[in-house]
Order: sequence, then structure tokens, then C-alpha cells
Amino acid sequence: MTTHTADPTDAAPRVAVKPVSFTRVLHSEWIKLWSLRSTYWTVLATLAAMVLIAVMLGVASMVEEGAAGPDGQMAIGMGYSFAQVVVAVLGVLTITGEYTTGMIRSTFAAVPTRLPALAAKAVLVAGVGFLLGVVGVTLSYVASYPLLGFDGAASLSDPEVQRIFWGSGLYLAGVGLFGLAIGAIIRHTAGAVTLILGVLLMLSTMWQLLMMTSDWFTKSYPYLPSTAGERIASPDVSGVVADGPQALAPWTGFGVFMIYVAITFLAAAVLLRRRDA
Amino acid sequence: MIEARELTKRYGDKTAVDGVSFEVMPGTVTGFLGPNGAGKSTTMRMIVGLDRPTAGAVTVNGKPYAAHGAPLREVGVLLDAKAVHTGRSAYQHLRAMAATHGIPTRRVREVIDMTGLDRVADRRVGGFSLGMGQRLGIAAALLGDPQTLILDEPVNGLDPEGVKWVRTMVRHLAGEGRTVFISSHLMSEMAQTADHLLVIGRGRIITAGPLEEVIATARQATVRVVTPRSGELAELLTDRGATVTTVAPGQLEVAELTSAEIGDLAADRGLPLHELTPLSASLEDAYLSLTRDEVEYRSETMTQGASR
Repeated sequence: MTTHTADPTDAAPRVAVKPVSFTRVLHSEWIKLWSLRSTYWTVLATLAAMVLIAVMLGVASMVEEGAAGPDGQMAIGMGYSFAQVVVAVLGVLTITGEYTTGMIRSTFAAVPTRLPALAAKAVLVAGVGFLLGVVGVTLSYVASYPLLGFDGAASLSDPEVQRIFWGSGLYLAGVGLFGLAIGAIIRHTAGAVTLILGVLLMLSTMWQLLMMTSDWFTKSYPYLPSTAGERIASPDVSGVVADGPQALAPWTGFGVFMIYVAITFLAAAVLLRRRDA
Repeated sequence: MIEARELTKRYGDKTAVDGVSFEVMPGTVTGFLGPNGAGKSTTMRMIVGLDRPTAGAVTVNGKPYAAHGAPLREVGVLLDAKAVHTGRSAYQHLRAMAATHGIPTRRVREVIDMTGLDRVADRRVGGFSLGMGQRLGIAAALLGDPQTLILDEPVNGLDPEGVKWVRTMVRHLAGEGRTVFISSHLMSEMAQTADHLLVIGRGRIITAGPLEEVIATARQATVRVVTPRSGELAELLTDRGATVTTVAPGQLEVAELTSAEIGDLAADRGLPLHELTPLSASLEDAYLSLTRDEVEYRSETMTQGASR
């Protein structure tokens, strides 16, 4: 209990307390992130999903030899579609987990300006999402290599292949942030998860059905959050369907996706400041 | 020092806190007393910036809570025991809270020891009893060694042992010269811990001041009178402005006149008195009389609701 380093003046606080700073809030959020079991499950599930997809595609390429079968780029460029589900949930849980348990009141009592807490969560979710993407693709490459063989595996010197490596990380970082922002707005886990998975997975299917009704849906299809965003993480498919919607260039698509994320985040930040905790 | 000026909180057309002004003076234990739903928790949440006031303002040590660079050093707050992620251990929860203010891990261990959590600190909070949760909440409030503590219903729902522990803790903290602002809906609880009272009902401050004073004003002394001629006496006393209740045949309870006045009046008329006893209201009675008109749902309304 007794410390000899502190000045023994009556008025001086006995405990070393420093002002809240972004670095300290980031440290706090880091402790929070890694002291929950769900984080570890999320990381494991993401990596497992990506490797599993790569292995399955590798096996498929062995069964179906030739041009019709999946190639090496597909083997590493498909995993994100499953990984995004888990990362989106991680993003959502980072904040709704605090709202549903009441933890958010402790968080905001310690950081009453609130935005640093949201920003720190964003940095961590984006960081984890990015690393999961890059590490996941790397593991996928390694796991599917024996199945694809040297000729079948994607060439690492190909700029398109390199883009898939970094792009998977970027897309998953964006998806995590999207989940966090939607979670901060909705504040309930089930509602937020339903919303983001609906946007990421079902919106494009809905648009494909609606294309029959109006040309507008065909034209707007490439600009949907998921169709735009996943361009950075997936193999180039331009010109696959001559008559269908024209996919955006990878970086353009990612830019469009990040605009959706940024707008959602802005709304989340405004609401976070305004609403009662 | 907590200062509230015209603090108001409305939810839609419902006013939870209605233009409340008060001060919690340094070095005192101020009890915040009121029935459930009177606006105690809302007021406390506004003090630490969790709820945004509809109107008015509240400052802590001269500044709004959120304007302090290190708020946990100014005020420690226990709003409810379960403001903690259920999946995290008590130790990690405290460590994360401490990290925001660069508080060393040594202090985390210290508050764990102070609140007797050492045996359960590494367990996940989800499995904690209410009493353990309350201890953890107090541990978190103590992290920054603040001069002011805000405790919302800290004994609510605790078993007798837990109640005793919280009471001892609050006295200990007050003994160290800290300001404690503690809420309860139980008068008896406040009488044991507080030296100042702030009584709230339906979002308005009913009365405030030193504990004894508040109790004295609220205690409406009555006098029990036993007389064979109760009808005549009752009429006489009512004429003098007293409130007379017939408790039993020949037995009256008289308010608003002292026993001396009643005795003199009876003697003037030659009415025999068999008993003349001043009764002092219990604490709970005093509290009930203070908040009688301010309780949100009276028993009558509940009966009506049930028969519908």
C-alpha cells in the first residue's frame, strides 16, 4: 500500500493518474479486445474459413483439369467472401458487446468525450481485419499449393496476385469498420449483424433479381457496397459476362466501398456523441 | 463538489428530472433519497455525462465532467453493478479501465485487495453474484483515487452481509475525507450512512439539508389521547385546527397540536383525559410523509389497474 516514490503531501493524490490520451485509450481497447474469448474464436474462424475455401478449390482443380476448373488466383481470391462474415461480426461485437452488457457506461465514464473510444476501436478492428486478410491469403496459398502444383498456383510475381494479398487485408479491414459503425448505430448485436450481413451478402442477389425489372439496377449493381468492395480482394473478372453489369476497377471499387464505410462511420460518430449511454 | 443548476431531463413528454438544483459539499456523505423512479439514477448519469441534460447544467469540481482531462481522478462512479462486459475477468476489466488514465497495474491490484475481490479477480464477471458485481463496481470507482464518489443504490438487492460490507466501505471512504454522493430509496439506509440528505420525488427536490434537520421537519409529531368523551374533545380540537383521527373507541390521534395544548384545552372544558402520549414518527413514516405526494404510482392506482 505504501509507496515511497510519491510526495507525501496531504493534497497530492497517492495514485499516479495521467490525463486520458488517444494512446492510453488505444491501450485500454487493446486490453479489452484480447481479454474476450470471442476475439480468439473470430481470428481462428476467419483463418480456418479462408484456408478451407482454398483447399476445396485446390481439390476441385485436381478433379476438373483444364480451363473450366478453378485456377490458382481463385484459390486465394475466394476466401474473403467467407472471412468477411466473421470479420463483420467481430466489428459489430466490438461495440454492441459493450452496449448489451452495460460496459459502454464504464467506457464512457472513463472516456467521456467518447470519440477517442470509437476511434481506438476502429484502429484495432481495421488492424485485425487487415492482418487476418493478409495472413489468411498467405495460409491459403501455402495450403493449396501442394494441390495446385507449381503450374497451377498463382504466380507471386504477378501484380494481380499481389493485389489479392494486400486487397484481402484492405477489404476485411473495411468490412470490420463497416460492422463497427453499424454496431455503434444499431447498438444491438442481432440487429446489427442482420443488417451488415444483409448488406454484404444479400443486397447483390436482390439486385440481380431486380435487374430484370429495370436497367437502373444493372447500372447501379457495381456500386453496391459488397460488389464494389470485393473487387480489391478478388481475381479480375472484367469481361466475363459481356452483357451484364461492368465491374469497377479494383481500386475504384474499394474507393466506393470506403465511401459507404466513411458515411456510416460519420453517422455513428454523431450519434455516439449525442445519445445517452 | 458537485453543483447542479436547473438540471432537467425529459424523455419524450415524460419529465424524469425537473429543474433540479443542488450542491454536494466536499467532505460530506450526502444521501440522495427518493422512491424508485424519482429521478435519482438519471441525475447521477447526467453528473458523469452519460445522459445529456435537456436543460440546465451540472459541474464536478467546477467543470463539466467531460471537460476534465483525467475524469477518473475527479469522480469515481458506481452506476450499476453490471456496467461490465460479462465475458471479461474482473482483473482485465479493471486493467482496461485503468489503462485509459495510465494508472499502473499496482493500483489495480490495490483496489482488488481493498474490495476483497482477490479470489475471484481472474474469473469472468458473468458468473459474479450481485454482491461481487457491486464490489467490482466500487473497485472500478476507486481506481483513480478520486476525492468524490457517486454510488447509485449500492446496497440494492444485496444480502445482509453485502449490505454491511458496503456500509462499512462507505464509512471508511468518508473517514478518509472523501465526498460521497450515495442514493437509496430506503430512509433507514440513509440514516445509517449519510450526514446530509437530498430528498427527491418525481424529479423535484423536496427538501435538502443536514440529516437531523430533514428528519425533524419531516417528522410530524402526533399525540395519542384516551378520553371517555372523545366525541366532544375531537370537535374541540378540530376547531383549533388540529387533525384528529379516531383510532379506536375513546382513543384519538391528534396532529398539529402539542400534548400541552391538548391537555390545557381539555382542562378548560373539564374533559377527563386517561392518557396523553406524544408519539414520534418513525424514520420511514417521516420519509413517507415527505414523498407522499411525489410517489409516481400510488397504491390506489395499482389497485385500480389490477381490477381492470
